[in-house]
Amino acid sequence: MKALMSLGALIGVAGLLLLGGMVFDVVPSTTIRLVEGYMPIQMLLEVACYVIGFTGLSYIMGAMGMAIPRFWQGIGFWVFLMLYLKFRVYPPIPFSVRAMYGTVGLVTVFMWVSANEEDWNKFKQPIMNVLDAQTGMKRLLRYAYLVAIPILVGGFSFNAMMPKSEEPIELRTVHPAPPASTKVHGKTYTLQTSQNPYRVNPEGKYDQEFSNANIVEQGMGRLMKPNANPWDDKNQGYLKYVREGGEIFFQNCHFCHGDNLNGRGLHAFAFNPIPANFTDPGTIAQLQETFIFWRVAKGGIGLPNEGFPWASVMPPWEQHLTVDEIWKVVLFEYWHTGYYPRTWD
Amino acid sequence: MMDSITQKAGIIAVAAFGVVLVSSAGYSSVSAQGLPEGFKKGDLAAEPSAEMIEAGKRVYFTKCVWCHGVDGAGDGPGADRLWPRPRNFNQGTFKIRHTASGELPLFDAKKPIPGQNDLFETVTHGLPGSAMPPWEGILSEEQRQQVLSFITTQLVKDRKFTDKQSETQTILQLADLKPKPATDESKKRGGELIVEKKCVECHGMEGRGDGNAFNLKDDWGFSIQPANWHKCWNFRGSRQDPYNVSNIFRTFSTGVNGTPMPSFADNTTVDERWDIANFVNSLCERDPLGNPLPIDPLTDKPKINFVIPSDLVEGEIPADIEHEAWQKAPKRYVAMGGQITHKPRNFVNRIDDIWVRSLYNDKYIVYLLEWDDRTKSVAEGKLPWAPTQVNIDVKEQDPKTGEEGSIAAKQNNYTVYNDAIAIETAVKWKELPAPIKPRYLFGTNDQFPVDIVKWEADGSLRAFKGTGWDKDFEERDNYEESMKLLKGEWKNGRWYVMIQRPVGNKKDQDYDEDTFFEVGQYIPTVFFAWDGHNGDAGRKMAVSAFFYTFMNPPVPQETYIYPVVIAVGVVLLEGWVLTRRANKKRGKTL
Repeated sequence: MKALMSLGALIGVAGLLLLGGMVFDVVPSTTIRLVEGYMPIQMLLEVACYVIGFTGLSYIMGAMGMAIPRFWQGIGFWVFLMLYLKFRVYPPIPFSVRAMYGTVGLVTVFMWVSANEEDWNKFKQPIMNVLDAQTGMKRLLRYAYLVAIPILVGGFSFNAMMPKSEEPIELRTVHPAPPASTKVHGKTYTLQTSQNPYRVNPEGKYDQEFSNANIVEQGMGRLMKPNANPWDDKNQGYLKYVREGGEIFFQNCHFCHGDNLNGRGLHAFAFNPIPANFTDPGTIAQLQETFIFWRVAKGGIGLPNEGFPWASVMPPWEQHLTVDEIWKVVLFEYWHTGYYPRTWD
Repeated sequence: MMDSITQKAGIIAVAAFGVVLVSSAGYSSVSAQGLPEGFKKGDLAAEPSAEMIEAGKRVYFTKCVWCHGVDGAGDGPGADRLWPRPRNFNQGTFKIRHTASGELPLFDAKKPIPGQNDLFETVTHGLPGSAMPPWEGILSEEQRQQVLSFITTQLVKDRKFTDKQSETQTILQLADLKPKPATDESKKRGGELIVEKKCVECHGMEGRGDGNAFNLKDDWGFSIQPANWHKCWNFRGSRQDPYNVSNIFRTFSTGVNGTPMPSFADNTTVDERWDIANFVNSLCERDPLGNPLPIDPLTDKPKINFVIPSDLVEGEIPADIEHEAWQKAPKRYVAMGGQITHKPRNFVNRIDDIWVRSLYNDKYIVYLLEWDDRTKSVAEGKLPWAPTQVNIDVKEQDPKTGEEGSIAAKQNNYTVYNDAIAIETAVKWKELPAPIKPRYLFGTNDQFPVDIVKWEADGSLRAFKGTGWDKDFEERDNYEESMKLLKGEWKNGRWYVMIQRPVGNKKDQDYDEDTFFEVGQYIPTVFFAWDGHNGDAGRKMAVSAFFYTFMNPPVPQETYIYPVVIAVGVVLLEGWVLTRRANKKRGKTL
């Protein structure tokens, strides 16, 4: 038990030092990087690590006779959570969202300290002690609180009432519901039944298994399969079209969606909403190929209101590309990210 | 084509050698072995293993080939719409190095020295301001080394990284040179040296890259422009650390191969170079306290605040930028991207930011817009279209590959139109439930139009109503008379434009055409900018995202009253809790 707790304490101290170091720029702030797409699970893991760490720490401190009162444990953990959310997560979360997490955190801490009568008494003991003020020190503390609390509350409310110009928070639906069908260049495509005409094997047959076998490999770098180079002149079918789609992508799309399809293109810094990151498992990996076809063909202006058609700079590509070119670009995007399009079944 | 470039490179190399010989004669900054101060002779790195090269080929054909091309000649499918063009590897000419001018960059696939593996650092951090992204976090370190092994051995064709006969390595010892503290004295000396060393001839009097901007060409004959020292986040060699003075010191010491930027190692001492680097670094935009701007790690550009606050002034709004009210007004960085939604798309955007300030009084609101533009462009003669015309005859760049007619070949060769700027605000913004707005590009339709105020470098200031991206503007009756151009000046590579317009009110303003600027409300605002020498006209322009103009209201009286009331309430509550506790202890209940 003791060894286990010591290990926990070690994790806690190391984690805290690392976190502090990264926040205060002692060690590079990219020492432990939050990876897009894996961020939620990473954060849960990190917080779990800290919980283990804190448990170990408080156990060791207790064993060494320097036990931290339950009162400060509760408050300390809650403060830690708030600071973690504010300084660790990038891009920053707006205050209103942090306030929500903070409330949930507070309730959790409350449930923890009031789990049984004994714990609850331990928790409220310091408050009662100050209220009763039986020693000189406590009396002093009580007066300090009496003065400080109204001043703090007054100050906060003054701050809250001062007119401020904070950015309004606007929440946008990234994947709005698609229509049943879409008309591009005079032809109607039913989203449920349409297929990418270029997802074909060398014999020219629609063949998702063939294409899935030739996409880039998942894992660092997302490199192409060694024997499936789209720049090989001998290619027929799928890989030939991937290359043609790539050429179109790098003549039209990379300006925003980036050379690695991660939404960090040359012009991306200026736009809001930011261009989609196709390497994020939450974008094209979650969608059917026909959905992408619709989004590409109709662009930002073709979005329903929840998708912010007024702000999106995504071109309606039917103005720039033919239907064939659009299908090829979609094909390339799946190839380059190594994702399979979702199917209807 | 290839041969002529090689030949040219040869001539340049010989010329450079001559310059080195001549200039090294009279300067004490050259050490006894004939090396410039701060440099040491190094050994050529060993050839990468065949496995590394083979593995690198796989990386190259997944990631790089799309811009740099099958033979590494910088002619991939993406090349023609880019300026600067992707690097042509064949000649072995690389910009950002630790090696002396004309030499190959450092690259060691086997025993890399951190921070000194030039090509690796370039791939890791990218080249800001160009389309080359940072590959850190995308490719592993090993993969980056592999792809460079492939490029340096297979795609660099005219030179050989391991050939002891023809190649030398004279390495800047940057790790051993301690930066000189950026004291006022050092910066002052640097400011004098950049005139003495003729830096200002290309980089301009204020360092905005506006000197001699038309005539400079790179080794391949493409137009090239001097760096703007005020935007250090766009320095190619900034290594994602733009305010680090060492990067400037390095570029200044080694020069930029393939461009007109020479190495100054031979005619400056290390001490002088630090002074210059300190001065150049001090010019980069900073916040009002003089601290570096916070850089967004996702974009490597300054962080954006989408609210443009406007402060209230009593009486007339001053037209003098030096006036206290303007000096105190918060300055906002407005990022600009090319308009690439509708034809003609602006792939090469030369105005990538605007700095905006605003003031208002009871009648008017004034925007002060400042942006860097290397060239003052005023169209000669009458433009072939009316000011209201939106669908005008400007072509966008074809996507086909081949250097003829590419953007890089055409830069500085466009018909010159007017530099211009426009502020677009939503009309009837209050009738749209938040967050809905009229579309950013000239409004949604007749029902939800936008109010566009456009200034052009010929001195005109016009007001339009926009009703859609492809609808010609409508002139607004009598509105232009109520606007005023307080300033419209181009100086040393920067435009200063001050536009005054009525804030309007619901009663006597035409609320169907004009924006009503209401105090304390978020008014959707978009900025457009045109660079006349980039052939920008009509929809070929730079655009911003949606910003908000926010006129700071005077502080209402309640702000001072309520907190006091609340504080008193808390005191009463405290009294109640204490009494209750005391009573409880005494065994009484309330």
